[in-house]
Amino acid sequence: MNSQHLLARDTISKGIVWLLAVPALLIPTIVLCYIFWQAAPVLDWGFIVGTTDGAGFGVSDGIFAQLLGSLLLAVMACAIAAPFALGTALYYRTYASPRQQRLLTAMFNMLQGIPPIVFGLCGLVVLVNLFAWGVSLISGAVVLAMVVLPLLVLNTLATLERIPHGYTEAGMALGLGNGAIIGRLWLPRSWLNLLTGVLLAMARALSETAPIMFTATVFSGVVWPDSLFSPVTTLQTHIFYLAQESNDPQVISIAWGSAAVLVLLVASLGVLARLLYKLGED
Amino acid sequence: MALKWWLSASALLSSMTILLVLGFLLQSSWPLIQQQGATFIVGTEWYPFESLYGMLPAFIGTVWSVTLALLIALPCGVAAAILCAELLPPRLRSTVRFAMELMAGVPSVVYGLLGMWLLLPLLESQLNLLTGRTLLAAGLLLALMILPTIMVLSEDAIRAVRQSQRETAKNLGIGWDATLWRVLLPQAWPGIRVATLLATGRAMGETVAVMLVVGSIDRIPEPFYNFLQPAQTLTSRIGREMAEASVGSLHWAALLFCGLMLATMAVAISLLTHRKVAAV
Repeated sequence: MNSQHLLARDTISKGIVWLLAVPALLIPTIVLCYIFWQAAPVLDWGFIVGTTDGAGFGVSDGIFAQLLGSLLLAVMACAIAAPFALGTALYYRTYASPRQQRLLTAMFNMLQGIPPIVFGLCGLVVLVNLFAWGVSLISGAVVLAMVVLPLLVLNTLATLERIPHGYTEAGMALGLGNGAIIGRLWLPRSWLNLLTGVLLAMARALSETAPIMFTATVFSGVVWPDSLFSPVTTLQTHIFYLAQESNDPQVISIAWGSAAVLVLLVASLGVLARLLYKLGED
Repeated sequence: MALKWWLSASALLSSMTILLVLGFLLQSSWPLIQQQGATFIVGTEWYPFESLYGMLPAFIGTVWSVTLALLIALPCGVAAAILCAELLPPRLRSTVRFAMELMAGVPSVVYGLLGMWLLLPLLESQLNLLTGRTLLAAGLLLALMILPTIMVLSEDAIRAVRQSQRETAKNLGIGWDATLWRVLLPQAWPGIRVATLLATGRAMGETVAVMLVVGSIDRIPEPFYNFLQPAQTLTSRIGREMAEASVGSLHWAALLFCGLMLATMAVAISLLTHRKVAAV
């Protein structure tokens, strides 16, 4: 094979890679720009802080109530899941036998693969009907907590793995018990990275629609839920209902506006998590 | 003591979650299995009002939409990963990668909105269809959704191949083309495989976006490879009908059985992923 032949083959291969890769990189970018282009006419401060009374099918005013509901659900879901995730990860590192460790890893890998709507179904059967919590904030929060649990556990485990063994061994040599090792060594060293995990879990909880559709949300009429057992409105389901039910271009532009706000919210959580992670590395 | 109690309790409870989920789904769909045997699983007709709960149309819809998505997203995603890892200058690479990571986090309902108000009109006008709500629309939308995941994870796998391997290949004078096919891709393959399986799982379980574009008509495409027809997937069926089914009815049990099927398929995929990772 002469070198000219080789060069030609290289060029062809590179050409094919470029040909396939450019649409793969360009189309998502175009799509993202399209969302913001469509959302631009409605995006202003009044849109974000205004509330709608529900009478005009979301046409009239802002999305404050939806934004609030989404955030409330995400924060509650993380608040429920975080203690369990931390406890599980610490158990894995301290008390678990190798067999239990393998079992736990397998369980969480499986749990992570379960489609979110399946958790929604379980929530509907168990929380909404069996426990009679109804379509409510608490049902949705528990369902979302199940969705983000594997993410949080695996993230916490990865964080704990990164603590140098020397630290832990030095602690053990000094005769510290598990409690002191966790409280004095592990947590002070890695709390920033743990917080990163919580932020990522919040971003994930904010982007789920299917699991809360039957368990937590109504279309409109709620600004601030009265209790844990009253339903909420969320940005995710708001977009869904508007997209599905309406043909009015103005309503659709509100859906685009809500979508842009949601994307910005999730992306800024992602960026914040990245910054915190960098901070925790140093 | 309190510490040990907290740790053990949370480990026990959170690892039981998956068993509880599967158990409750099985328990609630049991009435249907009891009444109709297992034959409804391969039944081709889904008419809740006549107590016909054939699972096959939605199952085929799910398989089809996921296959279409993978056929599009896998070559493009891996090519983008190769481009990013091997051909782009480092600064551009990290920008592109960060953008892709952000894209991977875009909520599915936003893709649903895009599908409904950008993709469907496009398909209708370009392919001259009566309705854009087809398996093709679902496949395209899913491809867009899983592309960033495939790209990001494949890039990790390709970059994990040691630099000395590339240098050796260069010294042997085997050219970029052969390096790619004989050195990089074979070594990155386990990672790309895992990326593909994860993406498959995500595409299979995607609900709201698919539900808005797939058409939700319970029939097997005629002929079976015709992806320009409206169809139904397991997830879109649950999403469409769950609110209408009355609690405890056969219809309710049948929808929960759809959920059980999804969960079982997901567990199978994750076992496949997990075993391969452990073996590598």
